Amino acid sequence: MVIDSQPRQALVRRVTGLARSTPGRLSLIIVVLVVASLASGWLSTWSVNRQERALQDLATRSEPLAHAAQEVYRALQDADATAASAFLSGGLEPPRLRERYEADIAQAQAALSVATASSPDLTATLSAQLPVYTGLIETARSNNRQGFPVGAAYLREASGLMRTQLLPAAQELYRAETDRVARAQDEADFPVVPVLVALAFVVALVLAQRYLTRRTNRLLNIGLVVATAAAVLSLLWVTSASVLVMRDVGDSREASQQVDVLARARIATLTARGEETLTLVARGAGQNYEKNFVEVSRRLEEQLEQARRLGGGEAVEQAVRHFRQWQQVHQRIREADDAGQYADAVALIDNPYFDSLDQDLVRAIGAARQDFSDEVAVARTALAGTVVGVMALAVLSAVGSTMGLWQRLKEYR
Amino acid sequence: MRRLTSTLTSALAPALAVVLLVPACSPGPAPSQIVPRSAPAPQPANASTVTAAPSSAPGPAPSCDATASLRPGPLPPPGQMPAGSTMERILQRGRLIAGVDQNSYLMGFRNSFTGEIEGFDVDVARQIAKAIFGDEKKVQFKVVTAAERIPMLQRGDVDVVARTMTITCDRLADVDFSQVYYQAGQRVLVRRNSGITGVEGLGDKRVCVASGSTSLGNVVNRARTTVSVPNWTDCLVMLQQGQADAISTDDTILAGLAAQDPYTEVVGARFTEEPYGVGVPKGREDLVRFVNGVLERMRGDGTWRGMYQRWLGTLGPAPAPPVARYRD
Repeated sequence: MVIDSQPRQALVRRVTGLARSTPGRLSLIIVVLVVASLASGWLSTWSVNRQERALQDLATRSEPLAHAAQEVYRALQDADATAASAFLSGGLEPPRLRERYEADIAQAQAALSVATASSPDLTATLSAQLPVYTGLIETARSNNRQGFPVGAAYLREASGLMRTQLLPAAQELYRAETDRVARAQDEADFPVVPVLVALAFVVALVLAQRYLTRRTNRLLNIGLVVATAAAVLSLLWVTSASVLVMRDVGDSREASQQVDVLARARIATLTARGEETLTLVARGAGQNYEKNFVEVSRRLEEQLEQARRLGGGEAVEQAVRHFRQWQQVHQRIREADDAGQYADAVALIDNPYFDSLDQDLVRAIGAARQDFSDEVAVARTALAGTVVGVMALAVLSAVGSTMGLWQRLKEYR
Repeated sequence: MRRLTSTLTSALAPALAVVLLVPACSPGPAPSQIVPRSAPAPQPANASTVTAAPSSAPGPAPSCDATASLRPGPLPPPGQMPAGSTMERILQRGRLIAGVDQNSYLMGFRNSFTGEIEGFDVDVARQIAKAIFGDEKKVQFKVVTAAERIPMLQRGDVDVVARTMTITCDRLADVDFSQVYYQAGQRVLVRRNSGITGVEGLGDKRVCVASGSTSLGNVVNRARTTVSVPNWTDCLVMLQQGQADAISTDDTILAGLAAQDPYTEVVGARFTEEPYGVGVPKGREDLVRFVNGVLERMRGDGTWRGMYQRWLGTLGPAPAPPVARYRD
């Protein structure tokens, strides 16, 4: 400390000495302005870069991953419901249902491999248990083909595995991926600090101009004017681009919220369908399934209502209509089953409303995802060229202030 | 020139050796390994381990003459039930509601080709419907688990239960029973070549039974571990998956399970008597007498024998139907 203090005091003395004379002060101002313009430029560039990366991540990673996770859940849920209905129809399973089951498993597997690339830990349970599940279904099927009731027991076991392990794991995956979307959206937020720094730099340029005007009695210094104009332009550019991005990201948030609500509605639709089918499979011992159906239907109705409030659209309106029709048919199924007309009840379950509702939701989700993609694309165009522009303006204001002050400094030589 | 090269080489050789060998001494990271996520094998839903018999089964059972039922009067002709009787209410409803099983192959099971429920028990229920309506199709089947039989009767959700239901004094406190329509007995189902020859061999084994069945109380103290599941077919799943060593219950049910898996066999002698009766809600004496009349007729006109041949023929030639005992 003692040894150090000597040179440091010398430095302080030299700087304060410089600051006492006008040329010294001018040199100092040059240094400060050049450093400040480059620092502010660098900070703005960095923040714009960050926004750009976040937007890119949203468009090419987070959103597709969230969609993949949602598809994993949906396909698994549908596979389970389809396997149950295939069992319900007497005789050999209808090829239509078997194809649907196979398509679901293929889809789940494909979506799972997309999700695994980014979060292998979250998909470990799914990857390990999905083959076990399909194995149980095939055992159920081969027993069923021989007319053995143990087939139904394997089906119940498979369904239990789906409900207690696979679906909760898929749900967790979906939650993790939607959180990632929300985080990317947060990162594209307004860059407060860089904008404040840019503003401070503009103020510093104005103060330097005032100082010069007082010292030299010249109204304007061309170099400083150019520097100030460049700094103001840069500030306006970053601010307006950020405001635009913020607005678009806000809109994309609404779109992804809509996607989330619709995705949950679709899952609820499939869950309700599964419960409806299992009620009939259980033949009188299905009170729990019916209770679940009523509960999931209530949730589904709320979600459809929420989707309507969030913007709705033609597909959502259709979905609401088909939901109501489905509920009416369900009422009739229950009445027939409770009145002992089991065959009538089974015949009624083959109604088009469930499939229509599912298709409506697919369309609505597609539209909302397109909205999301559009908003992110618009936000990305708002940022286009900003990095290069801001950097060029920073260099321009550094050069401008140096040249402007250099002219004055020369007068003292 | 050549000498120069050779000196150069000899000078460089040790350096080269050092360069090549030194990195070999510092170990690289261990080769990566792929470790599968260990997952528990799937089990039937609601499988649980039982440590003690439910209720007072091993204790002093309430003494009663369980298999003595109410004497039937003459059967009224179909479609003309006595006014004010339980049967008349069923007639007016237009269908009999019968609690049956859809998981006990041969006794009560779902025919996967037609989707219909069939079996010995189911035919008993159809005979009752036939006696009331003159049409054995006028019956609504409600599938009940073993544990749900008594609650469903008590709530009045079903008119009768025909589901491999053993008549016991415990149960007579909650429901009424018809006369015995089938005499079963508990035995043991194991994998072929398992070395288990009967109930005595279960001491160090894991045995599966259906919850709420009389078999549970009979076996829980004779096995090392007892696992209970909702349905008998769930037990077969556990046996096939290697999660249970044996299944112990009535020979009728075991025959149905063995018929679904040629790698299993029923071993040992009957070690309990399981008289099956049709369960009727407590206090419906008229219905009990009516069902007894139906059973009496089935025994007399060869229907019982025909049903036995159709469903249980694999157990051997039809024995004489159980003898009716009445307490009047």
